[in-house]
Amino acid sequence: MKKIRVLVAKPGLDGHDRGALVIAQALRDHGMEVIYTGLRQSPAQIAQAAVQEDVDVIGLSSLSGAHRTLFPKVLEELEKRNASDIPVIAGGVIPSEDIPYLIDKGIKKIFTSGSSTEVLADYIQELIDPKTKSIEKPHKIAHIGIAVESIDYALPFYTDSLGLELEMVEQVESEGVKIAFIKIGETRLELLEPLNDSSSVRKFLDKKGEGIHHIALEVDDIETRLQQLNKQGIKLINEKAKTGAHNSQIAFIHPKAANGVLFELCQHERNED
Amino acid sequence: MDEKKQQLTEKKKWENSVAQTLKRFPEREETFTTSSDIEVQRLYDAESNSYKLSYPGQYPYTRGIQPSMYRSRFWTMRQYAGFGSATETNKRFRYLLDQGQTGLSVAFDLPTQIGYDSDDIMSEGEVGKVGVAIDTLKDMEQLLDQIPLDKVSTSMTINAPASVLLCMYIAVGEKQGVPLEKLTGTIQNDILKEYIARGTYIFPPKPSMRLITNIFEFCQKYVPKFNTISISGYHIREAGSNAVQEAAFTIANGIAYVDAAIDSGLDIDSFAPRLAFFFNAHNNFFEEVAKFRAARRIWAKIMKEQYKAKDPKSWKLRFHTQTGGSTLTAQQPDNNIVRVTLQALAAVMGGTQSLHTNSRDEALSLPTEESARIALRTQQIIAHESGVADTIDPLGGSYYVEALTDEMERKINDYLDHIKEIGGAVQAVEEGYMQREIHQNAYEIQKRIEKEEEIIVGLNKFKLDEEVNPDLLKVDEALEKSQIESLQTIRNERNQEAVNKALAELKENAKHAQTNLMPSILEAVRAYASVGEICNVLREEFGEYTGL
Repeated sequence: MKKIRVLVAKPGLDGHDRGALVIAQALRDHGMEVIYTGLRQSPAQIAQAAVQEDVDVIGLSSLSGAHRTLFPKVLEELEKRNASDIPVIAGGVIPSEDIPYLIDKGIKKIFTSGSSTEVLADYIQELIDPKTKSIEKPHKIAHIGIAVESIDYALPFYTDSLGLELEMVEQVESEGVKIAFIKIGETRLELLEPLNDSSSVRKFLDKKGEGIHHIALEVDDIETRLQQLNKQGIKLINEKAKTGAHNSQIAFIHPKAANGVLFELCQHERNED
Repeated sequence: MDEKKQQLTEKKKWENSVAQTLKRFPEREETFTTSSDIEVQRLYDAESNSYKLSYPGQYPYTRGIQPSMYRSRFWTMRQYAGFGSATETNKRFRYLLDQGQTGLSVAFDLPTQIGYDSDDIMSEGEVGKVGVAIDTLKDMEQLLDQIPLDKVSTSMTINAPASVLLCMYIAVGEKQGVPLEKLTGTIQNDILKEYIARGTYIFPPKPSMRLITNIFEFCQKYVPKFNTISISGYHIREAGSNAVQEAAFTIANGIAYVDAAIDSGLDIDSFAPRLAFFFNAHNNFFEEVAKFRAARRIWAKIMKEQYKAKDPKSWKLRFHTQTGGSTLTAQQPDNNIVRVTLQALAAVMGGTQSLHTNSRDEALSLPTEESARIALRTQQIIAHESGVADTIDPLGGSYYVEALTDEMERKINDYLDHIKEIGGAVQAVEEGYMQREIHQNAYEIQKRIEKEEEIIVGLNKFKLDEEVNPDLLKVDEALEKSQIESLQTIRNERNQEAVNKALAELKENAKHAQTNLMPSILEAVRAYASVGEICNVLREEFGEYTGL
């Protein structure tokens, strides 16, 4: 396969190129060809170099605060050269409130201080060559799990008051829970009732009371996704998938990695829906 | 003798008990190392070194350059500041002086540092961003308004156009009626590290070195209390070097400036006492302390033994320290206050002459007033509350610190020998030797952090689920426009004939390598010629450095 070509550029007068140089080296170590422009490049020079070198992606770095002016200028200069199809990503000291502005102007993604070169390299790989992207993003919310003391008591609200349809009730012995699936649009609500005292749902109820327990995301290729998350340093509760309700393969992501929300990854048999 | 024997038996006992303990509690790491890859022993004792220490204020100054150090006077608390317009920065300066700061330190914006006017096409988006925008003497007058230049010492972070900004400072002094010999302060004026690490160069090395020696000569005659250069390891470290490389490359650059000055006919003792240094302080506490002590010892030996300087003032390595910007994290920014405290403490334990403490929010943007105040308070707490400044060199005689000082001295000297073999610092810079060494180390650090072999609290361990976004300083986007307008007003109001005449004279003098350019730059500045206009004249004569 042809090597991915990356232009790493320093627009403006900023002389801090430690980050740019480290990233250039890391991308080379990931098998990419990297052209570094050197310091003090005008937006026109950067666009020109990108076209001449026939690069697949441009990475801009700025630490001087000139990003709001200079990054969009690079995009304008690319457009003048009919090269708007070259994606531009950026990094440096970029305050988070400037990120939406830059994304809106057409910068694909901003990597700020503390980003890992591994994640960056994977991002570029997938951006340029989606075929190598073995896994698709989660399709939809498979279900929202709600912890309840008793399914029998809880159910009438959903079926009678809201008029939703109860799909099925099932016991998952391995998790120590009884669950009820209630269909809503393309997704489901999942009521969870503990079967015994060692059930994690029991612990949840004792600690927090009834309420939303987790959100399940429908994914393909759960094993690869788990590996990828692991590699990115995302904390997982289950590093390997296990069998969940309805013969699905499931695994949980640690709430610490996701703003206090417990996420379940859930893969159903293909023929199921 | 018996006592010694007793000691050895005790040591043996300890070694045995360690061996036992390690079976149950193995050590956290296989080997412990400093940032410069010096292996740290389990324990240091009297056998670890055979140091002979001189007293403070005595050659080779391992324990400090003054006989009484901080018992007489604390280090100068000097916070680097500057943003936006001269008027705004002037307000921040007067605020900091009111808060008890004892010296000024000016940050210039990038166009000023690279010799472009605010209306130059190259300046777009950069005006007033990382420091104050100075185009003409008018801006400098506003910057220093109501600040008495005979009482306040001013450090200016300016390199390639240092001569121009120094002349502006002199011209403001003249207007305030302050005699030149009373002006005190420092210009950074260290071009070699710009090629190596910081990037604000304009001219190629040779004419740049000429401008530097012109300043040495001029100041020795007319502005004798001004530090004519601040030979900087700070940016070398920020670019990714380790502690040994920082000290070694800085001293190598220092040697290059001394050689250039001697070659231009100056006597060593006429300029060497005005050379100042500028180091970084990172997190590895004892290594940093040892670095400062080793650097002082090495410089003293070089100046006395190699250059035969006779004036003890020429032997003393005086230095400013700034805490390490690259050690700060954007994540959990308040943690940075603690890092800065440790680094500042290392600088004080290392005997610094002045200190800048970074603000907690610098990984996110320029510091807010509140953050800048906490940074200054950090120094004041160390000075007034901790008691560490009450005795001289409190770590002197520590088995570990002395052993580390010796080891750093050896490793720094190895680098100096190697750079000498290459042909000196200028040659090494032109070949990209230092740049490669630094880059290599920066990449290693990044890999270690990503593999979690090096822990950065809040970044790769002890992370928070949610990050709070603190208030950040915003530079007004309208500033660029108003700065350009006021530059145009000055261009319309000044005596253009005087400007043309001064610039023509400067151009003529630039052609003659033996002529000191300072008088003609001063003349141009007095006529309100701009930084860009003066630098463009010199660009025409000297050409521009374009990188490797």
